[in-house]
Amino acid sequence: MPYLRDLHLYCLAAAFLLLISSCGPSHRENHKEHTGEKKIGILLLNHGSRSERWKEPLLELEERVSEKILEIEGVGGIETAFMEHARPSIADGLKAFDSAGCSDIVVIPIFLTVGTHMFDDIPTIIGLKANPASLEKLKLENIERYTPEARVHLAPPLDFSDILKKNALRRAGGLSVEPQHEGLVLVGYGSTEFDRQWTELFDEVGDHISRETGITEHATAWCGHVAHYSPDSTTAVVRRMLSKKQRAIVIPLLVSTSEAFQIDIIGNAIAALKDHGKRVSYKPDAILPDPDLERWVIDIAREYADSIGTRRISSPTVHQ
Amino acid sequence: MKTRTRDSLRKLNNILHRDLGYFFAGLIIAYSLSGIALNHIDEWNPDFIISKTTLNFERTYDRRSITDEDIATLSSRAGESSFRLYDFPSERQVKIYFRNATLLVDLEEGTGEYEKISRRPLFYQVNVLHRNSVKWWKWASDIFAGTLIVITVTGMLMLRGRNGFAGRGKWLISAGMIPPLIAVVIQHMQ
Repeated sequence: MPYLRDLHLYCLAAAFLLLISSCGPSHRENHKEHTGEKKIGILLLNHGSRSERWKEPLLELEERVSEKILEIEGVGGIETAFMEHARPSIADGLKAFDSAGCSDIVVIPIFLTVGTHMFDDIPTIIGLKANPASLEKLKLENIERYTPEARVHLAPPLDFSDILKKNALRRAGGLSVEPQHEGLVLVGYGSTEFDRQWTELFDEVGDHISRETGITEHATAWCGHVAHYSPDSTTAVVRRMLSKKQRAIVIPLLVSTSEAFQIDIIGNAIAALKDHGKRVSYKPDAILPDPDLERWVIDIAREYADSIGTRRISSPTVHQ
Repeated sequence: MKTRTRDSLRKLNNILHRDLGYFFAGLIIAYSLSGIALNHIDEWNPDFIISKTTLNFERTYDRRSITDEDIATLSSRAGESSFRLYDFPSERQVKIYFRNATLLVDLEEGTGEYEKISRRPLFYQVNVLHRNSVKWWKWASDIFAGTLIVITVTGMLMLRGRNGFAGRGKWLISAGMIPPLIAVVIQHMQ
């Protein structure tokens, strides 16, 4: 049949048309234009660590929320990415969504609050900013930058919700025996540049626990870069608390568990105190796993997916 | 072992020590410099020179009404003719991004901090090696570390007699092990 004879020519022509139509102009202009069709990728982003123990809860978080997130209209995939020290990297995740033909990527940071990573480094990695200090740091630390073809939406960190308050309350409640004789110490990573925001957040969480439990005193200790990753700062804060109260409850407000933070730094900080066995209640746990956080991730994914459908959001924080 | 064989081995030992020492001299100095720099990472930034200038704008701004023109004015006060973008770290602050610098403005106080970042000459480059910032360098670094062991061992076997390993060598090696042992014991006791 004559039309069958020319079939290979039609196929070649179709392949050629497909090829030229897929070659866009410049990278920035290459954001996919959508004719009502949306395909959204959800990227659960966290700091990353070399510790397998640290990675596990974050990968489990993805497993637990996947089913519900993939049910959201327009969502075509979900990935977990680590900013540093672990794979898949942010660039890996974004590339995977680009390859899958996503029109939009919603980056959900599993970070406590604003910090240098949240405000400058991550937006620089995903191509929303080009902060000079971040660019140099990323190069030095071998972190790949990738500006996806899909539109990127950066969701807010955890402090925009009540998750931290509920989470810390549940964990403190589990350790508290006589609230009137106890003081609470919240231990967090901390931030030099965003110290005010971190201090305010931890104070808010502490106040909430005080109101709900009757533990009248609370204090904050930093264990990250601000404290040079040394246990001394935590030891000093807990010691001060023990000078006022009979017992101290120590809660690590860290996203996940790692040997370095919960065991070496905080654990050793407590072990350095006299009578710590009797006077300090500490469990080397973390914010994850947390059903409220899982719900928050699902809700924020849904909120962004709906907004993308009606084009109510673009990049939420950056003004170009 | 025959004297001739022993002499040949010693000659090979000395050649290895000499030539590996020459070959890795630059890298040994680079790693030592970087080692000192990174040891003091809490006291200084070993990779970058960050120059900060405080500016006073003699007026305050309201975040809700700030415009691109305001941002351009603030930028020009820092000596920048154009800005890339700006963002708000908090209710009272705006951060303006330039090609090689940033300006963090406290809108309520009308002050700003202009920050310029540049690589610290020599240290940045040696730190790149020490941090394995180039992926494949890890393997070169492993070979270098292995070779340092060879240089050390051949160094210990270079001389004979009272200045050799069997003579003062054994005492000096033992003495050299005391400081690290003390450090480990102190850490263990803590």
